[in-house]
Order: sequence, then C-alpha cells, then structure tokens
Amino acid sequence: MQDHIKNFADAGIAVYALSYDEPDALADYASGHGVTFPLLSDPNSEIIERFGILNTLTDPDDHPWYGIPFPGSYVVDEGGTIIDKFFESSFMLRPSADQLLRAALGEAVEQPRAERTAGASEDVTFDVSFDGQMLNAGVVRDLVVKLNVPQGFHLYGEPVPDGMVATSVEIDDQVGLVVNAPRLPPTSPLTLAGTGETLQVFDGDVEIRIPIAHMTRGVTEDDAGNLVIAVTGTIRWQSCDVHTCQLPRHEPFALSIPAARHNSPRGKDANFSEHFAKMSSRRLPANE
Amino acid sequence: MSQAEHDPSPYAVKHESGMWEDKFGGLGPFKPGSGPRQDPFGEFPTGPAIGEQLPDIVAMSHTGSEVDVHADRSGRRAVVVFYRSAVW
Repeated sequence: MQDHIKNFADAGIAVYALSYDEPDALADYASGHGVTFPLLSDPNSEIIERFGILNTLTDPDDHPWYGIPFPGSYVVDEGGTIIDKFFESSFMLRPSADQLLRAALGEAVEQPRAERTAGASEDVTFDVSFDGQMLNAGVVRDLVVKLNVPQGFHLYGEPVPDGMVATSVEIDDQVGLVVNAPRLPPTSPLTLAGTGETLQVFDGDVEIRIPIAHMTRGVTEDDAGNLVIAVTGTIRWQSCDVHTCQLPRHEPFALSIPAARHNSPRGKDANFSEHFAKMSSRRLPANE
Repeated sequence: MSQAEHDPSPYAVKHESGMWEDKFGGLGPFKPGSGPRQDPFGEFPTGPAIGEQLPDIVAMSHTGSEVDVHADRSGRRAVVVFYRSAVW
C-alpha cells in the first residue's frame, strides 16, 4: 500500500489501515516499512466487532489469532458514505491498490494491460484483458470483460425473462485460482411497448470485472520460460432489439497472465518476538 | 458457525519449513481447515453496506496520537483497510 500512497495522495484520497495490533507494534512496522499513512490500533477488536467483521473462523481460545477481521476495505465519498467495499473470506488475500484507487475515484484507472483477447459475434464485440501487468501471489486483481452492444440492441441482466439468457462470465475452475463474484455494471430498465413488461438490460459499453487471485499453485512456465497463470472461461449473452432476439451466444476465452510464484517475502520486523508474545497473552485470563 | 461444521482440507501439506500449504498453494503457520485458514465460501460478514455511512472510527495510531477517521479525512474521500496484523 505504501508503494502506491502517492497516487492516493495526488488524487486527494485519505488512506487508513486498522488491525488488532498494539500501537507500539504498529510503530515498529511503520518505521521498518516507511509507512506514512495512519496505522490504527484496535487491540481489543472493539471496532472490528462493532463493524460486524470479526473473523468467526478463529476460536476465542485460539490465541493469538483470535480478534482478526475478515480482511476487507471500505471506500467512502466526501460525505462519509460507503461507495464500495472489497472483502475476502481468506485472511491471506488482499485487494490490489489499483482496485481501491479505481473505486475511490469512481472512474477507470488506466493500466498497461498484460494481454488481451478479442472477438466478435454477430453484432456484439467483446474484449477480455487483465487489469495490470502481473498477478502476484495473494493480491486480488481484475480480469476485465468488455462487451460492446450496437445501438438499438440490449443484453439482459438479472432477473432474466423466461427463456432468455442473462449476461454472465464464468471462469473455469482450476486448482490454485481464486475467483470472486463478478462485478457487473448497473442495468437500466427497458419497458417493452407491446407487453408493458419492464426488463433490466445492458446497452452500449458493458464492462464486467472479475476479481481473481492465486496462491502460487497453478502457476506454470509458458513456452518462453515465463511464469504465467492460464485463465480460461466463457462469456454468455443474448442480444435483442425491441422486436427480436438473436440466439444466445457463449464465447470461450483464454488468457495467459504473467504471475509471480512466490508469496511476497515477509521479513520479521523489529521486536517481533515481544509483539507476538504480547499478542498471544493479552486475552488470557489473568490467572491462567 | 461452529468449528466442527468445516471439512478438513484435503490439500493440507506440511513443508520442511514447518509451514502448511493450502489448496491454493498459500503457506501459513497453521493447518488449512483450522482457525482462520478455514474456507467460508459463501456467506461471511462484510459489515456496513454500500450506501451506508461509514461508522465512526476513533483509534490510537502508530504515532501514539488518537485519530478520528471522519474528522481526520476532513471532507476527503478515503479508503479504510481492515487487515489481519502488522506483526504476522
């Protein structure tokens, strides 16, 4: 995060990070890593509990792990309203700074793209790309599917009318690849003149983002000896105008994304043993 | 959700380093399927919803001063990250 803090500062966005660590442990971390934004201390997990995000997978007797949150981030606007959030069930995953910055800006953060694949099917064109240059272990980044729907046509969102096919992107299961729920743009209502039925549709440029991550399994070498993770999947849609619908389409795609195999190396910070011992004992009953 | 409801991971592999590898290849100090390494695919709490006001956060910071997030950001947009620990 610190590597990207200038981008947030330049955009006028404040950054805070909260954990159940003691202030002195945070101070050692901040000085060891050159952190310039506030690291907030919630040693009794009171704020974490008040937010309702206490990680319930750890047992209250499971010191020192008990008290951590489900990892996640909130993005708030000028008035303090939450405009987006990113949460993970696994404590090992974290969103990329780009995802947070994009959400805070409410606009696209243009990135050099690692690879893209594109095609056209009848009237609708599509483009699949990876948002970023590299997928490091444990960092969540987006696979981006863009559909261009010609004027006068629309694609269906959920809920889909009987017999029609909703727009979706499915990533094929593979060991080592973590795939989160796709983030679709909002639909707009379209009322049919004949029946008066109102449908939820996409039109124009439709951008679907699928957050993905890997934890090193599944990373392979390509023919040139570069480390990559191969991602395959299928895009489904059905395009219609107000009179007729085309046949449903399903278009497979494959992307080879540059990947780093290792988990980010994490050295021990100053006074690690003391901080860890304190963390381990702080919730024990006094006479235990 | 009780601990017993979770299946132990079939991918639990112990490395020479003493670290345990999970099905995604992630290495951690405890066995996959136990404690925070369980996999609650599906429902898990993510706190206040989009569209709600971010609840107040007033906490000590690493500099030893108290920070009130809403006051400190003074009208700026903000990102608030909840993470596991700066120690481990």
